[in-house]
Amino acid sequence: MRQMWWKVLCVLMLAYTVVGGFLMPVPRLNIVNETIRNLYFHVPMWFAMILLFTGSFIYSIKYLHSGDLVHDIYSAEFTKTGILFSLLGMITGMEWAKFTWGEFWSNDPKQLGTAMSMLIYFAYLVLRNGLKDEEKRAKISAVYNIFAYALMIPLIWVLPRMVDSLHPGNGGNPGFNSYDLDSDMRKVFYPAVIGWFLLGLWMATLKIRVALLQHKDDNSFQFDTEKQ
Amino acid sequence: MPTNTLVSLVRKDLLIEWRQKHTLFGVLLYVGATVFVVYMMSGQPEAKIWNALFWLTQLFVAVNSVAKSFLQEHPNRFRYYFTLVKPTTFLLAKIIYSTTLLLAMSLVSLLLFNVLLGNPLEQIGLFVIITCVGSISLSVVFTFLSAIAARANQNAALMAILGFPLVTPVLMILSNLALKAISPVYQPGWWSLAAVLLLLDALVVVLGLILFPFLWQE
Amino acid sequence: MRKASILLLLLMLITTLAQAQTSDAAMADGLRANGKIYVVVLVLATIFAGIIAFLVYLDRKIKKLENKK
Repeated sequence: MRQMWWKVLCVLMLAYTVVGGFLMPVPRLNIVNETIRNLYFHVPMWFAMILLFTGSFIYSIKYLHSGDLVHDIYSAEFTKTGILFSLLGMITGMEWAKFTWGEFWSNDPKQLGTAMSMLIYFAYLVLRNGLKDEEKRAKISAVYNIFAYALMIPLIWVLPRMVDSLHPGNGGNPGFNSYDLDSDMRKVFYPAVIGWFLLGLWMATLKIRVALLQHKDDNSFQFDTEKQ
Repeated sequence: MPTNTLVSLVRKDLLIEWRQKHTLFGVLLYVGATVFVVYMMSGQPEAKIWNALFWLTQLFVAVNSVAKSFLQEHPNRFRYYFTLVKPTTFLLAKIIYSTTLLLAMSLVSLLLFNVLLGNPLEQIGLFVIITCVGSISLSVVFTFLSAIAARANQNAALMAILGFPLVTPVLMILSNLALKAISPVYQPGWWSLAAVLLLLDALVVVLGLILFPFLWQE
Repeated sequence: MRKASILLLLLMLITTLAQAQTSDAAMADGLRANGKIYVVVLVLATIFAGIIAFLVYLDRKIKKLENKK
């Protein structure tokens, strides 16, 4: 994790994304116009969020398997970074929606799904803050995290399709159906997703390192008193 | 024999419920009062609103009746139970017990809704079936969450905080399914939606059985 | 201190959004000009603000850790 190469890769990808995202050719569409370039900035937020939550999920399982508090710290910090990305994704999505479709909040199933997953992870933080004992907090929040993630992911992916299929004609946003990622956009979109995800990973690892230091600090204090 | 312990655990919970009639009637009164308040506020609404109000009532009834399953018992008593039975058996017994309770409460509230808020149902049989499936799904999810809340030494409020976002999609699926019993509109995705709901229920039960032992390791 | 800065940030965001809303009738206002490219700028600026907020948060946390030693 402390290696340099993926951080360099992240910076290069993001630099390419920002420059290419503004300058590369995109399909000309009516309602979305140039805002289709938001695809490189807004959509990767969702990918990063999901991947960070997945990381948190994996470390929760690892925690239950090993009982090592370090894994719990990993899981919690992944979740917090994921929440930051979900907030960014939500705000940018609302800005995009306002200036293309006219409303900040347009009852879009994807938006609903994300709002729900945000509520779920806020509840996770509430649960964590309510528990003082470290071991207990780690165990209970890991159990809730696994439960919530396993319920949330299928619903986020399945529900929009289900709700749409029940209300035919309601689902398609203007412009959204007409873009297929053409080859020009793909050249920027895939690096964008990787770049933003690596940025999220970087941010999460920074938070983890700080939290680990804090954890060590708290425990070493105990150690010192024992020595005396 | 695990099935024997399962049966006796469920029977024990139901017997306690029956003997302590005040809690049972407390929940019944809660159901009645909730439906009555809804009636006072909305009168006899149109079918779609009726449906939404019904499922909202179900949610609150579920939180209040299922919360009892873990939260009503003293934490020390659990230590005793776990010397006797396997945790999975214990969770299954609690699920069965709270499902039974919630099934009864849902049917009562359905009856009250019919009496007070009018009857927009086209296919009563189908609606009853969906109500039963719905109360099973709600009680399964909330049983597990009440186990978490009980372990965290918290009250029912924590259970609601944890549970509402998790259960909202389930409620949406349920109310969409129930629309078929209310209006004869053709709904193309109905069967796959029902399949999703059943799969979700199975997922919740399996997850609960896997995760519950971890909650009780001390 | 942190709460105040977050509040300030929110206020700024709200005022800019409100300004954008009032000029809704004319389609050629700032953010919709030039094929709505400034919406993309706004989105990128939001993400930038988020990352900066993260840095400030991390800075404070590390400072707290340093002061302890």
